[in-house]
Amino acid sequence: MEELTDESLMLNVKQGKLADMGELFERYQVKLYNFFLKLTFDRSASEDLTQTVFYRLIKYRHSFDVAEGSFKSWMYKIARNVHFDHSKEKQKNAEQLKELELVHEGTNDVTGNTPADDEQIHKLNLALLRMQPDQRELIVLSRFEGLKYGEISRISGKSVVAIKVQVHRAIKQLRNIYFNLQ
Amino acid sequence: MRCELEQEKLSSWINNEMSSEESTAFEDHLNHCEYCNRELVAMKNAWSAIAKIEPEPGDNMWLRFDTMLNTYKQSLREHQRSLMEEKIERLKRLVMPHPWFRIAFACALVVAGFAAGFLLHRTLSGGENGETVKIEALSSQMQEMKEMFMLSLLENPSASERIRGVSYSAEIPAAGKKVVDALLSTLNNDPNVNVRLVALDALTQLASVPGVREGLVGSILHQDSPLMQVSLADVMLKLQEKRSIQPMKDLLQQKNLNLQVRTKIEQTLQHLI
Repeated sequence: MEELTDESLMLNVKQGKLADMGELFERYQVKLYNFFLKLTFDRSASEDLTQTVFYRLIKYRHSFDVAEGSFKSWMYKIARNVHFDHSKEKQKNAEQLKELELVHEGTNDVTGNTPADDEQIHKLNLALLRMQPDQRELIVLSRFEGLKYGEISRISGKSVVAIKVQVHRAIKQLRNIYFNLQ
Repeated sequence: MRCELEQEKLSSWINNEMSSEESTAFEDHLNHCEYCNRELVAMKNAWSAIAKIEPEPGDNMWLRFDTMLNTYKQSLREHQRSLMEEKIERLKRLVMPHPWFRIAFACALVVAGFAAGFLLHRTLSGGENGETVKIEALSSQMQEMKEMFMLSLLENPSASERIRGVSYSAEIPAAGKKVVDALLSTLNNDPNVNVRLVALDALTQLASVPGVREGLVGSILHQDSPLMQVSLADVMLKLQEKRSIQPMKDLLQQKNLNLQVRTKIEQTLQHLI
């Protein structure tokens, strides 16, 4: 059977074939989970937020329009809003120290990693954590989620040129933090 | 030595955001710029390093997704059902109007019924005059029925029924000749003295009716019961009927006349003369 694109699956969902959302869930649940995990450093919250995104994808399925961009950019736009709503409820500064510990704990249960890997992952997490939230979001979207500048522009409402400059700064900052940690 | 090149090109190249011409030009530059090479390697390392952090979410993600999807489908079905119910309700409201409207409609029907009956009646009886004619006809019909009833009662073999018939004459307004004749006939011929007495009473009430006085006077000689003779004498005195003097004198001639009756008649005659 031919593999359907994200967009045609989403159009099926839009026309009432809600079961096709399962295939999209299969494709993106890990990506979304990591998107939230890198923004919140909270595993259970990230699972909740991932579910929320899929709920909203179904609920607002009629607003999906291929002419306005890919399924991915539409999904991340919704994910950003979900995260925005979530972070409004949280008092960030108080939480962050606690999260730092959680990250250290949490990375230990990622199976199949050598202790050296774990150490590196922990450092990267710290590096991410020390970045500004909007820069962190840019890194997550472009690096982890593999979105193009054009798509990020559509999601965030910023111009492509601005995205280009900001991503560059974010990478540089990440590099500096990362190498300082080593 | 710092390179003058736009540094954003490094990240653009890493992120594969360049057109093929741009990237060829950039790669040319990389071949002879040490600074950019160093920067690029450092950035690439950091960039690829963070890609390693991609933990899997918990085991129950699918379960939660399925539950959410099913719940959503359920709510969708309920929503559709409620939409259907709403449509049916609207249709019902269209066919069966508001209760108040129904009550008003019922009232209107009753009024319409009365009006129709009234109009029908009017057209049949031909207006006001026809109505009085009709009432008169009805009351005369009623009178006839009462008379008939009375007459039939007077012919009844039972004395008490005949008494009922006589007293019934009081209920007939403006008693006609027929009633008077029937009463006189009862007065003269009824075998029961009680019936005859009641008939006498009834006729006394009808004294103003023409023919009654004459009948009563004529009855004096017909009566053989002392009770009737005395009662008639009383009635004659009460009515001050002079025409009764002769029949009463004739009565006094009868040899077998009761003594008390004789005294009574004599007294009556004295009063009348």
